[in-house]
This record gives sequence, C-alpha cells and structure tokens, in this order.
Amino acid sequence: MTRTPLLVAASAICVMTGSLFAYAQLPPDPNAKPNPKMNFFVTSVGGGHGGNLGGLAGADKHCQDLATAAGVGNHTWHAYLSTQARPGQPAINARDRIGSGPWYNFKGDMIAQDQAHLHGDTIELARMGNNINKVTNLTEKGQVVPGLYDLQAPNDRDEDYMAAHPASNRHETLTGSMPDGRAFTDNQDHTCNNWTSEAKGNSENLRQNTGAAVQVGMSDRNGGGNGSWNSAHSTTGCGQADLRRTHGVGLYYCFAVN
Amino acid sequence: MIKKTLLVAASALPVLAGSYFAFAAQQRPMTFFVTSVGMGKGADLGGLAGADAHCQQLATAVGAGNKTWHAYLSTQARPGQPAINARDRIGTGPWYNSKGQPISDTQSELHGDTLIEAQRGSNLFKQSALTEKGQVVNGFGDMPNTHDMLTGSQADGRAYTDNTDHTCNNWTSSTTGTAQLGHSDRSGGGNTSWNSAHASRGCSQADLVATGGAGLFYCFAIN
Repeated sequence: MTRTPLLVAASAICVMTGSLFAYAQLPPDPNAKPNPKMNFFVTSVGGGHGGNLGGLAGADKHCQDLATAAGVGNHTWHAYLSTQARPGQPAINARDRIGSGPWYNFKGDMIAQDQAHLHGDTIELARMGNNINKVTNLTEKGQVVPGLYDLQAPNDRDEDYMAAHPASNRHETLTGSMPDGRAFTDNQDHTCNNWTSEAKGNSENLRQNTGAAVQVGMSDRNGGGNGSWNSAHSTTGCGQADLRRTHGVGLYYCFAVN
Repeated sequence: MIKKTLLVAASALPVLAGSYFAFAAQQRPMTFFVTSVGMGKGADLGGLAGADAHCQQLATAVGAGNKTWHAYLSTQARPGQPAINARDRIGTGPWYNSKGQPISDTQSELHGDTLIEAQRGSNLFKQSALTEKGQVVNGFGDMPNTHDMLTGSQADGRAYTDNTDHTCNNWTSSTTGTAQLGHSDRSGGGNTSWNSAHASRGCSQADLVATGGAGLFYCFAIN
C-alpha cells in the first residue's frame, strides 16, 4: 500500500529534477545565508557515480560548483580526499589539501581551530576530539546530513527508498584516509582507485572484501564501530549500489583553502 | 540472498559494520547504560556508594540486577584517602548497551590509550549510549538537552590531581564546587569527549540543568 506512492514520488522527483537531486537532503531554510566565515561543508549531493568522482580534480570541481551555487564560490575549495601512491605518483594526504584552519560551517560554528585539533595529532587532542558532530556537520546549504537510524526501515538502503526519503540515513562520507588524515600505505584499495572506479568489491562482507573499496567516515559521529568523522571503516565496493549497502550516497567533505 | 549475507556479516562484525546494527539483534546481556534519571540533588550522589546503589537499583528495575554495577565516577585524593579513577571501577569489558550493541571491547579503546584509538573513538555515541530502559538520551540540539554526564574524570578516565574541585567534593556537594562532565552524544562544547568535555557551573541540580544536564551518569557492570 505505501510502497506504490513512494515509488511514484521517487519517480516523479527523478523525472522532474534529474538524478542529481534524487539524493537531495533535508530541505534548507530558504532564508538561511552562509556565514561569511564559512570554509567547510559536507556536499549536499554526491557525484552519482559511487566512488568515481573523476579523480581529485573532479571532486574539487564538485566542491567548487556546490560552493558557487551556495554563494561562497569566492574561495578555492578542495575535497577532503586522499589518493594512494602509484608508480611515479606519490600519495596525496587529504589533510595536506585543506589549508591550516580554523574552519567554520555554514552557520559560522568553528569545527576545528587547526590541523592538530581537527585530526587529534596528540593523544590528548585525539581523546577530546574536534567539534564535528551531526548538528555542526552541515552541507553548503546549511542542512544537517541524515544519520544513523534516521527514517530507519528494512529497505532504507534501496535506491528508491533513499531517493524518496531524503531525510533517511546517508551518513557515510568518502575520505580514503586514515584517522590522521593521511593516505593508506598498504596495497589494498581505499580510494576507489584514486576516485576513478565504480567497481564492485569481491565480497559483500566488509572484512572479507579485498577488492574495490573506499574508506569512509561518519558525518553524524554515530555508527561504524567508532563514530570517526573521517575513518570509521571500509565499504563493500565502489559503485553507487555498494555505497548504499552501508548507508552511503557518496557525500564528502569540502574545505576552502584560502 | 543479499539480505542473508548481510545478516551473517552483521552478526560476525558488529563493531565494523556500524549501520548494520539495525539488523543485528544481539542477545548479549547489558553491561553499560546511562542512568535514565539523576538522583535529584545535583552532584550530591551520596558519594560513590550512593551512586553505585543508584546504578544497581536502576539495573534491578529492568531485570539486570544480577550483575554488580558501578558508576563511572572518579574521586579526588583527600588526606588519608587516595584518589579513585573511574576507569579502574568498571571491569575490563567488553561492554554492551541495553540492546546488546557494543560500546567498547577494551579499556584501551574506550579511553583511547593509543593515538589511533583516541583518534577513532569508541562505539559510544548518541545512538548507542542508551539508558537502562533502552532510551536515547537527549543531546545537543534536542530540547531539553540532558547530555552532560557526571564523571569527575580526565579524558583518560583518571582522577584529577590538582587542588581544584572536579567532583563536587567527591559526590557529596550540591552547593559549592564543580564537577567535570562528559557528553553522552559526543557533541557540543567544542569537542567530542564522552567523559571529559567541560566543567559544570556548580553542583546544584539547577547548575547541572543550566549547561545541558540532569545529573545523569554512566553505569558499567563489572562482572
């Protein structure tokens, strides 16, 4: 009974606004304006192709486009993503791409004052953590990203459900990074082949998957076994369907570097 | 087929799987909860003994009184009385909430004893730090916010060693002094500490309410 209207609604949304907005989130306050200090956000939408973001350049452009649409395109925006070393190409650490802080969200709340605070570079700082949480971790439009158990349903990882329920859990945030914000140095894939792959993994069990995968953080600091904002666990693959399997839609963090 | 695989994965990997919790109804007994109510006299808990009795009473009311429950609270040193560290009062884990979901496997993970553990954090967060009745505790952004947890502890789970009061006179004062507080939702106050986010305004019930508290604290089963 309820399924048909939902499907119709989802289809209508897709037809009317295109697949980009199939993953749109909580409706923003139309009167809300970004704080002048804003230099951090979570993307309100993913690229739509799983972990294939068109490389770092494609991801940076997505950040810049979203920022421009939100009226903060006067900064240079970078995606918080690492890439792994390849022959002739050294690894790139997400933390080295985002300037030195302090960083502020849409409302002007400070989420971290510097690199050491953001990443917990000393054990004392790490135990305290930064100021990233579900309430402060806002999109470029000032929206809260839906988190663990939001609009929970048995089918809440299905494409049609997630499209029809933009306020359902989608807290997994692509980073490809270790908790310290640096690239992984082993031979496993943690970056969807440096943000170019939509390949499936070789197991739907997180621990057994040794194939295509990406390291994700929890935008709401809930779930994933530890609530890490940038490095909670891996995925079962790099396709959009693989990201959905653990409540992700391919969102990521963007920081202004100037 | 996919669903079955996920269920198996969820059962085998509760810690890693995160969001799969919803599908992994575990039967592990509760060994951790946030008190659903405070004791009503601010941070005067009747000392550690009174706080432990509160934990035990709340646990008993939900059928978990067969375990020995301790409050996660430190006390500071006094003449002839050494300090007591909250972390030394709660056994060795693993600890599970009222739904059988993991909070932490080890002391080291719970307190971030290594740098990478500290950077990651434990599985204690808003949706897992449930009361003995299985309720989510109101947090940052909720009305009223009751996320301030009495701990009297430093972030490593140990007592303070300075001469300032961090325990409302070892949990006997509802007037002068202050108590160190954690956040059950790991949100607000500029950090994500579950056990040492900031100090209270004072020791009365009104002082605790003023910064987003209700005099709640953590209870752990030690056996």
